[in-house]
Order: sequence, then C-alpha cells, then structure tokens
Amino acid sequence: MVGIVEPELERFTRGDIQAFEALFREYQGEIYGWIIRIVHDPGVSEDLTIETLWRIYRARARFDPCRSFGAWARRIATNVALEHLSRRRPEKSLDDTAPIRAPVTGTPDPAVTADVSAKVLAALDELPAKLRITVRLAMIEERPYAEIADALGLSTNGVKTRVFRAIRLLRKNLEKRGVRP
Amino acid sequence: MNEKDEALRELLRRAAPCPADRKLKRDLWPEMRRCLERPPVPIPWGDWAIAATLLVCLLLFPKAIPAVLYLL
Repeated sequence: MVGIVEPELERFTRGDIQAFEALFREYQGEIYGWIIRIVHDPGVSEDLTIETLWRIYRARARFDPCRSFGAWARRIATNVALEHLSRRRPEKSLDDTAPIRAPVTGTPDPAVTADVSAKVLAALDELPAKLRITVRLAMIEERPYAEIADALGLSTNGVKTRVFRAIRLLRKNLEKRGVRP
Repeated sequence: MNEKDEALRELLRRAAPCPADRKLKRDLWPEMRRCLERPPVPIPWGDWAIAATLLVCLLLFPKAIPAVLYLL
C-alpha cells in the first residue's frame, strides 16, 4: 500500500486517466489477491477486479485523497465479490451426496472423502452470501477480525456476531447432510 | 473458538482449500482501457417519453405523488 503520493490521488479524483492508470497498476494485484480469497476462482477474480476498478473510477469524485486508497478499494472489492456470491446459484445437484468439484486449484486433503467435502461445500453454499463471505475470510483464510470488519464496513463485534451465526447455521446445514464436525 | 469450531474450520479448509497461487498473471489495464473508451450507452427515447409522461401526470394530479412514492 505504498508508492502512491497524495497529488496523484488528487489528480485521480479530478478524472486524470494517467493518475488512474498508475493507481490501477499499483493496486490491481492486491485487489485480485483479496477477491480470490473470497471467490476462490482465478477467472472470476480477474473479472471482478476489473469491475471493482471500474466502480472505483466512476466513484472517484467521492474519494477523499486524505484517506487510504487501499482500504477504500478493498471495501469496494468486497462489495463486488459479495454481489457475485449473492447472484451465483449454489453449485450443488439435487442429490447432495453427488460429488461437487470445488473451483480451486489446490488439491483436497485425501483424508477427507470427496463425499464429505461435497457436503461441506454444499452446506457452505447454502449460507446467505453475507455469512459465506465471513466464513471464507474468518475461518478458511483466517484473516484478522479487524481487517474483515474494515472490508465489510462492520464493527469487530459485528464480525464476531456474523461468525457465530455462520457457524451455527453451518452446523445445522451439515447435520441435515449427516455430517457432524 | 472452541475445539468443535476448530474441527469445523479444519473441515472447511480441507473441503474448500484456498487457491495456492494468488498472484495476478496478467496486466488487466488493457481491458480497463477498453471499458473507459467504450461510448456511454444512450438512454432510449422510450424511457424519456415514459419519464416525461409521468412528470406531466404528477403535475396534473399532485395528489397522486404519495401513492407513486409508496409504489417506488
């Protein structure tokens, strides 16, 4: 989050394309890195990174150059990812026991059967988008609550409450599928 | 987090592992540039006509304004 001087931010708020290009190149990797933590899909993350920066450009007049550009960008990126999760239909078949392929590049632990993994993913997908994003950031990515709170525009206690609700719902969803963690 | 929550976390991490490579592979600026150069979509004349009709109706029947606001 370093390298951008205030005059450049001021020029950006006035609509200077060169200043925006400098900001774009500085932050595109960071925004992509944040979005991929939430959506777990490289192709979708690229599209959402462009959408985020497009929204940032359109909202440039509302940005206060005295504030952190990175934090503002992260909040917009989180909203864009949240909208994506809300729009996306859960990737599950009618039969929950059918294996579901996770859109990730990593290999699942062999100790966990594909069946259990599919049920966990289905249970996760069943959560409301706001809880799903909190679970992904807090439980899978283990990001600090303060960072999540900043990105979601909540207080730290608000994040804790969401994590608590998400865990409770997730357990319920898993129990419905016969999984008891 | 208690032990049960830790077990759930472990289950989640194994079922939905984070992508190992989180680095952006290419520069996205050329695509952004295309978005910036795209001409803005003009508002269809039909939409202007509907807006004008609505405005005229509201001027003629101001008592309908609360009902319209409620429906919006």
